[in-house]
Amino acid sequence: MVTQTPPKSKKNPQLVLDIFIWEATQNKEKDLRSMDGASTKGVLSHLSLLEVQARSRKTQPRQPSRVKELKAKAEALMTQRDQLKAEIETHKSLQKLRASMDKQCTHEEEEEEEEEEEEEEEEEEEEMAEDSENSQLLRLMARHTQLKDLLHAHDIIGGYNVIKTRKGKGLCVSLTTAYNGVYLENYNLEMDLKPTLRISRDNIPPFIPLKSLAEQSNMETDIRTLLDPLSQHLNAFAGRKQQLKLVKELHKSVQVMESNALCSLLVLMFTVPREKTAVLCSLEYTDHTRCLPTRVHFECEDKGLPDSPEWKKNGSLLMETPVHKALITMKKMGDIV
Amino acid sequence: MMEKMSEENIEDVRVLEAQIEHLQAEVAALQRQQQDNHKDITFHLRGHMQDAMSYVCGQKQAGEKEKVLSKLTEEVEELEEDLKRQTQMNGISLNSCTTKTLQSSGRQLVQQLCVSGHCSELVFQVEFQLSEVKKGQRSERTISDLNVVMDTSDLQNFSSFLSGVEESRDLLLFFRTLRTFSDRCDDRRRTFQHFQVYSGQMTIEKYPSVVSLPGGCRSAVMTLNHPELPGCVLFVHWSVEVSREGRVTPKIELLTKIPEKALQLFPSQAVSGAAEAFQSLLRILGPEAAVESVIMAVSLSQDT
Repeated sequence: MVTQTPPKSKKNPQLVLDIFIWEATQNKEKDLRSMDGASTKGVLSHLSLLEVQARSRKTQPRQPSRVKELKAKAEALMTQRDQLKAEIETHKSLQKLRASMDKQCTHEEEEEEEEEEEEEEEEEEEEMAEDSENSQLLRLMARHTQLKDLLHAHDIIGGYNVIKTRKGKGLCVSLTTAYNGVYLENYNLEMDLKPTLRISRDNIPPFIPLKSLAEQSNMETDIRTLLDPLSQHLNAFAGRKQQLKLVKELHKSVQVMESNALCSLLVLMFTVPREKTAVLCSLEYTDHTRCLPTRVHFECEDKGLPDSPEWKKNGSLLMETPVHKALITMKKMGDIV
Repeated sequence: MMEKMSEENIEDVRVLEAQIEHLQAEVAALQRQQQDNHKDITFHLRGHMQDAMSYVCGQKQAGEKEKVLSKLTEEVEELEEDLKRQTQMNGISLNSCTTKTLQSSGRQLVQQLCVSGHCSELVFQVEFQLSEVKKGQRSERTISDLNVVMDTSDLQNFSSFLSGVEESRDLLLFFRTLRTFSDRCDDRRRTFQHFQVYSGQMTIEKYPSVVSLPGGCRSAVMTLNHPELPGCVLFVHWSVEVSREGRVTPKIELLTKIPEKALQLFPSQAVSGAAEAFQSLLRILGPEAAVESVIMAVSLSQDT
């Protein structure tokens, strides 16, 4: 790189050499005298002096632009802080609005006169006009959160989540199952609305009598006449299935001899303590809308055992209590291992 | 000259650096507060809601207001429609749902929900804890701490079911049963009201009104009494029973209150055997027709 003027950039230490050369050519006489007969030490010491000067100019803060830099940073932080404050304040306002909306909705239940409600609404509208110009938007936002929560609640309590599909030509229904507080399988129905309401697709297990329930129902006038019994069947099945799962998990000493896909038949083998006799227990669930058996039967080599008072009690227990819970009691009573 | 400038600038720099440190601390504290706010799922804003929030916080131009407002209004209207549809389809009307996030980590979310509403005339308030735990691709949802509040003053047969359902945390069973129970009660009310009107109409023609509902149209009892036979009253007792398991069974019975003297005058089984006879009628004709027959009989109607 050839320079006409002294190189201004001190950032590149390698230019120190250029500076030296330039200065040397400018002060030929001075340097010639010092260089004349001078050892390389003199040249080297001048070179290192220039190097030190160049370095110190690099590390010394550029006062004017440093202040500018810091001012910009401070402004950015202030903007960020104000933005955060605004968001947090808005959040608070939304929470307050939402809380008052919720209160209003619960009280609407108790008020029977519409006149009272209208009066309240008028009062609120007046208040709103006095509020800031954003109050309309804030109310809308609060209502949005309220609606989302209500829709979530419908889902959680086992609602059918009916969605219109294919631009109103179809319907999608979801059936939730749960047992003892545990949410289990979800089943779905896809239906055509035109020309008449009919089921087009489903993932209902084949042993659930969907077709006959649909035929017996009044689904075109009231879809719940199909969905309610269907949900009952599915939830009862899910409950029986869950009970079987719990028996296997919690009662390893009880052997599951037989079960079927619908979980409408369960055969268990108990071991009586002391004598170590085996008792075969059959549970028949002929009512598929229930989680409890319709018949309990014991079989044992000891023919008298099933008629004993303890086992008659166990029979009633198994008819009235879910099997996994009944087994806990039977173990406690010492009737089974 | 250079030195004087350096002095001023060093002072400025120090002041600015201190200010920046203070601001950074403020921002960090506010960010922590905002993170806490975001844990509350209800106010976790996305899409048009986020746009609206940005507008309110002054991040957007004043001209944007109309656009933000109209987009959000459209979305809120869609949600209102959706809610109407769910309410109609589920047969349950919810008027409030408040959630409180108790725990929110990457894998687990625990919320306390309080849901209130009504199913036909039956008002309820349900409170429970909902946990969602991510297990692989699926998430497991469980309910705990279920508490159900209903005005059971006239729902004696419902209260044993309620305590059972709280114990077993069967939230969905509660709502299924509530709806079925409400449907059967509505059946009763419609039938009773129909006969009250029907009997009233008969009055206009020739016969005095024999039907009365002393407890109102939502009660379980309808009385039949011909004014010319003041001591003789027939009661149609229509109860809707709920087992602990959640099975809803309507039970209709005919009870008679006939003075001894009258019974002596009519030794035949016709009067004393009325209760059993009614059960047969029920089996053959169903509730409405059976009740109608009894009303016709009590009205001493000449039309049959």
